[in-house]
Amino acid sequence: MGGTSKTWLRLGTILLLSLSVVLSGCSGGNAKPSGNNTPEQTATGNNDGKVEPFEISIFIGEAGQQPTPDNKIYKKIKEETGATFKFEFLAGDIDQKLGVMIAGGDYPDMMTGNTKLTAAGAYIPLEDLIEEHAPNLKKHYEKYWNMMKDPNDGHIYILPNYGVLNADPASNWYAGPAFWIQKAVLEDAGYPQVKTLDEYFDLIAKYKEKYPTIDGTPTIGFEILNYDWRNWSLFNAPQHLIGHPNDGGVVVKDGKAEIFADKDYAKRYYQKLNEMNAAGLVDKEAFTQNYDQYMAKISSGAVLGMFDQHWNFQTAEESLITQEKLERTYIGLPLVYDTSIRDHYKDRPALNLNNGFGISVNAKDPVKIIKLMDRLIEEDWQKILSWGIPDEDYYVNEEGRFMKTQEQRDNFNDGTWKLANKADAWFKFAPKMEGYFSDGNSTDAAAQPEEFKAGLKPYDRQFLEAYGFDSPVDFFSEAPENDIAYPAWSVDLVDGSEAKIVNTKQNELSTKYLPKAILAKPADFENVWNEYVSEIRKLNIKAYEDRINEVLQWRRDTWSVK
Amino acid sequence: MANHSTTPRPATVAAVNRRIRRGRIEPIIFHTFNTIFMVVLVIVTLYPFLNTIVVSLNAGNDTIRGGLYLWPREFTLQNYKAVFVSGTIYNAFWVSVARTVLSTLLNLFLTTMLAYTLSRREYVFRKPITFIFILTMYFNAGLIPGYFLMKDLHLINSFWVYVIPSMISAFNMIVIRTYIGSISESLVESARIDGAGDFKIFWQIIFPLCKPVLATIALFVAVGAWNSWFDAFIYTSSRQELSTLQYELMKLLSSSMNANNNPSVAAGAGMTQGAAAQMVTPLSIRASVTVVASVPILLVYPFMQKYFVVGLNVGSVKE
Amino acid sequence: MDETLTKDRTGRKSKKEKKMTWSLIKSQSQLIYMSVPLLAYIVLFAYVPIWGWTMAFQDYKPARSFSDQKWVGFKHFEFLFKDDSFLQVLRNTLAMSVINLILGFTTAIILALLLNEIKKVFWKRTVQTISYLPHFLSWIIVTGIVATSLASDGIVNDVLLKLNLIKEPIQWLSEGKYFWGIVGASHVWKEVGWNTIIYLAAMSAIDPALYEAADIDGASRYRKMLHITLPGIKPTIIILLIMSIGHILEAGFEVQYLLGNGLVLDWSQTIDIFVLKYGLAQGNYSLATAAGIFKTVVSVTMLLFANWMAKRLGEERLL
Repeated sequence: MGGTSKTWLRLGTILLLSLSVVLSGCSGGNAKPSGNNTPEQTATGNNDGKVEPFEISIFIGEAGQQPTPDNKIYKKIKEETGATFKFEFLAGDIDQKLGVMIAGGDYPDMMTGNTKLTAAGAYIPLEDLIEEHAPNLKKHYEKYWNMMKDPNDGHIYILPNYGVLNADPASNWYAGPAFWIQKAVLEDAGYPQVKTLDEYFDLIAKYKEKYPTIDGTPTIGFEILNYDWRNWSLFNAPQHLIGHPNDGGVVVKDGKAEIFADKDYAKRYYQKLNEMNAAGLVDKEAFTQNYDQYMAKISSGAVLGMFDQHWNFQTAEESLITQEKLERTYIGLPLVYDTSIRDHYKDRPALNLNNGFGISVNAKDPVKIIKLMDRLIEEDWQKILSWGIPDEDYYVNEEGRFMKTQEQRDNFNDGTWKLANKADAWFKFAPKMEGYFSDGNSTDAAAQPEEFKAGLKPYDRQFLEAYGFDSPVDFFSEAPENDIAYPAWSVDLVDGSEAKIVNTKQNELSTKYLPKAILAKPADFENVWNEYVSEIRKLNIKAYEDRINEVLQWRRDTWSVK
Repeated sequence: MANHSTTPRPATVAAVNRRIRRGRIEPIIFHTFNTIFMVVLVIVTLYPFLNTIVVSLNAGNDTIRGGLYLWPREFTLQNYKAVFVSGTIYNAFWVSVARTVLSTLLNLFLTTMLAYTLSRREYVFRKPITFIFILTMYFNAGLIPGYFLMKDLHLINSFWVYVIPSMISAFNMIVIRTYIGSISESLVESARIDGAGDFKIFWQIIFPLCKPVLATIALFVAVGAWNSWFDAFIYTSSRQELSTLQYELMKLLSSSMNANNNPSVAAGAGMTQGAAAQMVTPLSIRASVTVVASVPILLVYPFMQKYFVVGLNVGSVKE
Repeated sequence: MDETLTKDRTGRKSKKEKKMTWSLIKSQSQLIYMSVPLLAYIVLFAYVPIWGWTMAFQDYKPARSFSDQKWVGFKHFEFLFKDDSFLQVLRNTLAMSVINLILGFTTAIILALLLNEIKKVFWKRTVQTISYLPHFLSWIIVTGIVATSLASDGIVNDVLLKLNLIKEPIQWLSEGKYFWGIVGASHVWKEVGWNTIIYLAAMSAIDPALYEAADIDGASRYRKMLHITLPGIKPTIIILLIMSIGHILEAGFEVQYLLGNGLVLDWSQTIDIFVLKYGLAQGNYSLATAAGIFKTVVSVTMLLFANWMAKRLGEERLL
C-alpha cells in the first residue's frame, strides 16, 4: 500500500510541476494579447492600406453568445472600417459585476447603458464628439437630442438603441400586454366583439361549461402568473382597464402620477377575479406555480385566457403551433371596464432611455469609435445589419421589395446560424433606423407586410378574415401620440433611495395580499382588501410618487423642444 | 484477542439458542429491509438526474409541455449541439481541468501539512493558529475588498486567481485533523525515537495513512474547483481564453434565457414567421448544460471509493 | 464488554501544556516552518480584506475613494434591525436552518450506517454513487422537480390519493405550515448522499479487530452499530456539528426564492433574501456588509458556545 501511494504522490507532484510550468506561460501578468477572439490579425489587403485595424472592447450588460470568429458581417465591418470587436457578455448578477468594475475603475472601451455606471462617471459625454465627427448620428438623433440628456447633468452619455422612428411603424405583431383568449373560444362563440372584462369572463365561463376538458386535460378558465420578477400578470391589469397605457406601477392622470394598487378601480378588478375564483374559473395553482409550470399549462392547450405580455408566453404558443393546435393559440384583447373607455394598450414606441452604447472613460480612441458608429448608421450598413446580405439572406423581387424564402426565414430564427451570419451582439445595442428605408422597405423584416402575409397560416388567415382584420394588431385601438414624458416606468428610482425601497415594499405587499384576496371566500374579500390597503398606506408612498413626478416634470421641461 | 474464540464464555442454553436464532433470521430481515430501503433511495436519487438527461434529449418545443419523466417524447441531439457549437467551450474545458487538478493537489498537500502541525498537542502555536483558521469559515470581507486584494496582487485576468486564493480550506483542515487524531500516537513516537523530524513524520507516515480522508477531501476540493464559476465571472471575465467550462456553460444558459425574455427579440419570431424554428429553450439547454458540466466530475467519485475500505490502515490504528 | 467497545479517544491523556520557551520553540522549528507560512497566507487572503467592514458604517459608493466615503455610523444596522419584517425573517432563517441541521445530520448518519452494512462491494458503491448524484444538480432543477411533484396532479398527491390518505389534492406550496418541511426535505434529497461521504471515510479508520471481537461475543448488528461504528465516527460527528452550529444563520436563499410565492411569503423570506432585496439589488453594499457583520457575530458566538458545550461534555472539540 505504501509503495503505491508513493508513486501516486510522485506522479501528482510531477503533474503539478509540469502544469505550473505550462500555465505560468499563459498567465503572464495582465498584458492582454489583443484580439484573441478574432483570428485574422492583420489588416485586410484590398483597402490600399487606408484601413487601420483597431479593436474595440465592449461590455454587454446582459447575457449573450460570442459570435463565431469567422462571422460574415463582422468580417465585412473589419474589411471596410478596420474595426474588430471584443465582446464581454454578462452571465451572473449585474450588481456584483458592476460593483467591482466601478470600484476598480476597470472599464473596457464601450459599455451598454446602465444608470449605475452613469452615476459613477464611467461614460464620457458624447455631444461634442457627435457634433464634430458624426454628422449621420447627429441627423439620426436630431429630434430626440434633448431627451437623450442625463437628468442629473444634462450630458448625453448613452445612444439609445431603440425608439428612433422615421415613420409611424406599421406593425403586424403585438408583443405587449393584453387579456389573451384562445382563438377557439371566439370561434365557438361566433367571433363576437369583446370589449369589456365582464364580456370576456362570460365567454370563458360559457366555453368552460361546454368543454370541461380539452384533449383530456381539465379546462382552466383563467391563468395568472406571479413568479419572481414576472409579476405584471397579477399587478398591471387595472391601469389598462381604465384606459391608460402601461406606466408600470403608476397611472398618470392630468400630468400627475399616482399608484393605483390601492385604488377602487384596482379593487374592482381583483374583486372580479375573486368572484371568478369562487366560480372555479381561476386556476387553483395560479399562485404557487413557477414559470415552467405556467408555460406547460399554456402549451397543453387547456388554458382559455390570461393577462400577460405576449413575449412572455410566446415559447408556449410556438409549442402549440408545432403541435398543430392553432385554434389553441391566442389573440390579444384590449379590455376595458365599460365601452365608454377607449383602450390604450398599444402604445407608440418611446425612446429607449438608458439603453444602447456609451463610450467609457478608459476608451483609447473615442473619435475612432464614434466615427465607426457614424458609418454604421448609414442606410447601406443598416440594411446589412438588419436584413443581411442580398441574395444570401433575403432577395429583392421585381417591385424592389425585400422578401425571404422559407429557408431564409428559418435561418433568422436559428440561434446557431445567427452567431455566424448576423452581427446581433453589436446591432442590438447600436443606434439603428426604425421604420422604413428610403426605398420603402421596412427596416425590420418582421414588419414587412408581404413577409407577414407570406408567413400567415391558413387557420389564422381565416380567423382574421372572420373579423375583417389584416393582423392581430387590428384588435387594438390606434395608439395616440404619447404624452411627452411617457413612459413613467422608465424613471430611474435611484438605488437605495426611499422611493425605491418603498416600491420594493409595495410590490412585496401586493405579492402577499393579492393572491390572498383572490382566493378568499367572496364574503371575506372586503376584509382582506382593507387590510392590504391599510398596509400600503403605512408606507411612504409619497416618496415614490414624488420621485416619479419630479422626473416627469423634468422631462416636460427639457424635452418640449421636440 | 484471538484467544477469545478458544475460550467461549459460559452461557445459558437459552442465550445460545437466542443467539443462533438471531444469527439466522435477524440478518435476513435486516438485509431485506436494508435492500428495499436502498432500492428506494436509488430510485429517488437517480430520478432527478435521469429526468435531466431525458429533458436534455428531448426537443425543447415539446419539453415545454411538461409531463416528461423517464423517456424522451421527441428525441433530439439539438440541445447538445447548441452546447458544443460554441467554439469556446473546448478551451474552457482544459482550463477547468487544469485548475481542478492543480487546486486538488495543492490543497491536499498544504491542508494536510497544516492539519498535521495542528494535531500535535505539544505545538506551542497550535491553539492560536487553529482559531485563526477556523474563524475564516464564519466571515466574509465582501466582494469589493476582495477584488482590490486580487488587483493589488496582480491576480486579475490571471489563471492563478483560480488557484492561489483557495489553497487551504479551514473546514477540510479540521476534517483531516480529526482523522489524524484517530491514528495511533505510538507510530509518531516510535518514528521520533528513530530520529525523524516532523516533516518526515508527516510526509512518510501520516500522509499515506490518511488516504481515506484525503480521498474525501480530494473529492470535495475537486468538485468545488470544477463547479465554481464566480471567480471567472468576477476576476477573469474579460479574457476569453481564461474562461472555465462552468462559466461558459452559464453564459450559454443565461443567453438562452435572455433571448426568451426579450420583447424585441421575441417580436421577430412568432406567428408571422410560421412554425418557429426555435427548437432550443432555456429549459432544455439547462438540462444539457447540466449533463455536460457534471459528467466529467461525476467520474471522480467511483475512483475515490476504493480508498474508503474499512480497515485500510490495519495496524496503524489506535489501540 | 461494553466498556471496551465504547472506549474512545476522549480518554486520551493530553500532554501537559508546556511553558513557551525559546528552546521549546526551537525544538518545534519544523512544525513552525510547516504552519507559519500558511498562517501568513490565510491572514493575507482572509483577514486583510476585512478593512472592507468599514463599509457597514459608510454610505459606500464604489466610485468614490476611501477618503471620500460618507460615514454614517450605525445607520445600516438600524435599517436592518428596525425593519418590521426583521424578526420574522430571523425566525424563518433560524427555523429552516435548525430543520436542515437536524434532518441533514440524522439522515446522513443513518444512511452511512446502513451503507456500511451492505456487504456486496459493487452494490454498495453503486448506491453511494447514485445517491450523491443530486448534489450536482442546481437548485433550479431540483426545485423544478419538487414543484412538479407537489402539483395537484403531481406524484405526491397521486400516491396519497391512491392510499386514500387524502380526499382531494393538497396545494402543498400554498400553505406556510408546510413550507419549512418542504425546504428541509428538498435539502435531504439533494445532499444526503453527498453528506455521507465524510462519515464513510471516518468509518474506514475503525479497527476491524473491534468488529471481530464483537462477532465472537455474539454482539448483534445493532449493538455493533451502536457501540463500535457510531463511537468510531463520533469525533467526526461532533466536530461537524460544532462547525454547523456556527452556520446557524445560513439558511440560504435559492431554495426559498425558487419555491416561495406570495402565499407563503411570511414563512419563506430569509435574512439572505432580505439582504439581496434591500442591499445588493439597491446597490447598497453597506447594508449587505452590515448584515454580514451581524451574521459573523452570531456565528462566532454560537461556535464558541458549541465548543464550550462539547468541552463540558467531555467530547471532541474544535479548539
